[in-house]
Amino acid sequence: MSAASDEQRSDSSDKWLDAYNDRVASLYTFTQCMTLSDIQADGDYKLIIADLGTGSYDMKLKVYKNTNLMSEHTIIDLPTGVVTFYMDTLEPRTPAIAVASGPYIYVYKNLRPYFKFTLPPLDVHPVEQDLWDQAREGQISTLVMRETLENLRLEGAVLTVKSLRMLQLEAHDLDAFVQVHRTSPLKRQTVITCLATLKKSLADDDAISCLVLGTENKAIYVLDPEAFTVLATMELPSVPVFLSVNGLYDVEYRIVTSCRNGCVYTLKRGTSEAIVKHCIELKSQPVGMERINKNIYVGTMDQMLHCFTAKGKKLWTVKMPATILTLEAIDFKPKGFKAVAVALSNRQVQLYKEKFLVDIIHTEDVVTGLRFGRFAREDGTLVMTTKSGSLFVKILKRSAKFEEQDLSAGPPAAQNTKLNVPKKTKLFVDQTLREREHAVAMHRTFQRDLYLLRLNVAREYAKALDNSMNPISSDPTEPLKLSAQIQGIGPTFKLTVNLQNTSLTQASSELIIAFEFDERLYSFRKKLIQVPMLVPGLNYIFDTFIDCLNDKGVSDNVKVFVLRQGKSVPLITGVISMPVAEVVVMS
Amino acid sequence: MDPLFLAYSYFRRRKFKECTDICTTLLEKNPYDQAAWTLKTRALTGQVYVDEVDVDEEGIAEMVMDDNAIANVSRPGTSLRKPGTSGQAGPSPGVRPTSQSGRPLSGFVRPGTQGGRPGTMEQAIRTPRTAHTARPVTSSSGRFVRLGTASMLSTPDGPFINLARLNFSKYAARPNLAKALFEYIFHHENDIRNALELAALATEACQFKDWWWKVQLAKCYYRLGMYRDSEKQLKSALKHQDMVDIFLYLGKVYVRLDQPLTAVEMYKQGLEKFPGETTLLTGIARIHEGLTEMDKAVKFYKDVLHFDNMHVEAIACIATHHFYTDQPEVALKYYRRLLQMGVYNAELFNNLGLCCFYAQQYDMTLTCFERALSLADDQTLADVWFNIGHVALGICDHNLAYQCFRLTLASNNDHAEAYNNLGVLELKRGHVEARLAFQEFLLISERRPAGHRPTLGSVGTRTYEPTKSVAVRFL
Repeated sequence: MSAASDEQRSDSSDKWLDAYNDRVASLYTFTQCMTLSDIQADGDYKLIIADLGTGSYDMKLKVYKNTNLMSEHTIIDLPTGVVTFYMDTLEPRTPAIAVASGPYIYVYKNLRPYFKFTLPPLDVHPVEQDLWDQAREGQISTLVMRETLENLRLEGAVLTVKSLRMLQLEAHDLDAFVQVHRTSPLKRQTVITCLATLKKSLADDDAISCLVLGTENKAIYVLDPEAFTVLATMELPSVPVFLSVNGLYDVEYRIVTSCRNGCVYTLKRGTSEAIVKHCIELKSQPVGMERINKNIYVGTMDQMLHCFTAKGKKLWTVKMPATILTLEAIDFKPKGFKAVAVALSNRQVQLYKEKFLVDIIHTEDVVTGLRFGRFAREDGTLVMTTKSGSLFVKILKRSAKFEEQDLSAGPPAAQNTKLNVPKKTKLFVDQTLREREHAVAMHRTFQRDLYLLRLNVAREYAKALDNSMNPISSDPTEPLKLSAQIQGIGPTFKLTVNLQNTSLTQASSELIIAFEFDERLYSFRKKLIQVPMLVPGLNYIFDTFIDCLNDKGVSDNVKVFVLRQGKSVPLITGVISMPVAEVVVMS
Repeated sequence: MDPLFLAYSYFRRRKFKECTDICTTLLEKNPYDQAAWTLKTRALTGQVYVDEVDVDEEGIAEMVMDDNAIANVSRPGTSLRKPGTSGQAGPSPGVRPTSQSGRPLSGFVRPGTQGGRPGTMEQAIRTPRTAHTARPVTSSSGRFVRLGTASMLSTPDGPFINLARLNFSKYAARPNLAKALFEYIFHHENDIRNALELAALATEACQFKDWWWKVQLAKCYYRLGMYRDSEKQLKSALKHQDMVDIFLYLGKVYVRLDQPLTAVEMYKQGLEKFPGETTLLTGIARIHEGLTEMDKAVKFYKDVLHFDNMHVEAIACIATHHFYTDQPEVALKYYRRLLQMGVYNAELFNNLGLCCFYAQQYDMTLTCFERALSLADDQTLADVWFNIGHVALGICDHNLAYQCFRLTLASNNDHAEAYNNLGVLELKRGHVEARLAFQEFLLISERRPAGHRPTLGSVGTRTYEPTKSVAVRFL
């Protein structure tokens, strides 16, 4: 098998060997319709695939031995699930293949049709029965019959397939249809939606198993493998789509089923109806469900992978980069490695161990079917079928090591670190009580204060604008910026004024820099600085020396004004609080 | 009434001016009246007396030209110059504002808690020095000069004692006069060299047996920057007499030598002799705070409160700690305690306002800020506006926030945080040009190394400045 290894490696994963690539296998199948089993009891595991053919005909049950198609059986209706199970204690221990299709289960033994199980028929609506009885005797016109059936359906009654088909037909086909079908007995049958196995009384690998099936009429049946009788029936609030079963039928068992209403129910031995207590409500419809150890992994249509405990407590949720197509549990016993493989619509299969992404397999096409297990003589084999019908087989390398978090997806690690949130103090609780009791009064006070504050701030702001007290001009016509610095120890300081025109296009001219200071304390060497035209963006530096006239360690504020010639109100103002002149240097 | 008795009475009632006047008239009558002379000396000293233990201002010269540092690269958690290396987790600097050296701003502003330490001489000199930064060139100038000036103003007709004409050895032999004279020279005249000479002669005169003179010598050495000599004198004094003061001075010397752990050790030794002494406990707490070991600092501040439940510094620091560790409701309780104790200033109301806001007691918030605004002086006003701006950001009133930050700049042109926030707000409004102007300004203000950060507040954490986090959120 490994000889067939394809040279063209599409993925760079160092954990998987490409065992077999068949791009023209033309398989149309899903995870539920694939299984790996030793059906000939020769230690060589076969791949059994129920192929949906074109979707309307050409349905086949295909068995691959190694890479060769070993046998093919035609299936009459669309398959919805394939399992293998031991139905007797005969030697050699060859398991039977059960294919669910429509209301039937076809059982194959030694690759030969062995038995066909039909689900018990359901009650037909009395009015419908009556209509067809009348039709058989020709007492009713087809149009009236159709109208009555239509009304029945609108009332919510569940009709038989025959009636439903009739409703679909054009008026001129009706008579012919009734003529052909009026004599055949009226049967209402349901359709199997999912299939699983449950060990009967022993937990051995090759112990006899019961079949567990979920049907369209919101029920789960457990079938006896030898007599093919219904051992147990359980009602559900919705149609089951995925099943996960463990335990023993005779002792204790759990059936976890996810349903079309977006809920996951857990059924126990002895319960005939799903107890709503054991219900996990998902936010979206499930697209796959697996159970590893005691945890239930559910992939949903909103690109989320959820993990729940058996009791229904949510453990974590990971957001997937793309839509989930199917899930498969990976249980590699030699290494004790358990993970869940998630096939995504971005042509990736991601492996999650707990919530940590441990590996990504890139595939050529979107994977729709995944099965991990023993294939041929190789323990860790991953079988993938794609949307375009190719079949890929990969073998897990023995040297493969899956390290948690080596490819960290999902939330960043920082999100998992606990914040140092202080304890809720009693004070806090008391204050919350106060808040709750006086919420309205508090809000009113705050709003009133806020209005007052806004008014005050606006006043102050207007005052500041009037006096141009800001070092950055808020007037769009004079986009100027001022910063002033004092350098030196004293008694002589150097005042540096940086002036910049912050506009992009407009130059400013006719500006003066003037100072306001206490003449008893300071003497400016330049009392007025003429500013040349300011080119936008450039920083202009002006400086002047200041002498401190006082040796008593007194200091004062000095103001720098930028003025336009002929205007008395400054454009911008900078305030500098002068440092104390050092007496040491003076003496 | 005997005028001398009256003068003593005035002295005891701390009416130094009246006391001095009476002594002056007495001395005019009899220039050799030793009692009057001593009393006048003491009265003049009393006018300008500042407790040496608490006054500590590091000048630029001391900081940059520091030859006492033992190692340039100190081991983690052992240096005040590289705080935050002790590995203790506190609130992140993004939440709790730090000084330029990386130390969290203290809840209580005292000399030496302001500003940071410039890295190089060039930075220190280039630093624009304004009254906001108030860092003197050396510790012998600055504040002490101002005190000295004040004393000169109080004696318009020349100094009371002409130091140049004093015969120190004569006075040194007379302990009753010498001590008063020394304090006069040290505090009133601020003439450390002469004070040291007198102290040296006096300690010799009493055969090196008086601890008081040794402590005074140490004080002189400390002022002159001779920390090792100071340490020697203090240790020697400790052999004669256990005094709280001596331990405090030793702690101060070790802090200056950048040996915070030894200083803590010293304080602890002091605590063994004087259990429950709040000044020593406060000293330990301050050092832990300086090392950013906030949990330990708070523990010691709580010890202080155990012995003195009116200790303003301890209450303020614990409150600050609670505020920055997301328990504003607890901080509120402490600040209210301060208010009940009679502290009434802009900083406290500002902090109360912030605590109320973050503890969701909205009805009190703005009232507190209004009080703060009305009480604020030139220096605090900028920060009060800044914090109101933050409250405005909190209620998503960007217009109000913008105006508040603008007002911050109007009162303090160097407010880097306000520039930053204005820049972010301009960006939010889509004024990229204006935002660039503010960001450039921020760069200018950030480039200024020491003390551009406003150094306000006598009590309390005044500012909650999550500028950095705001910037991250918006940018």
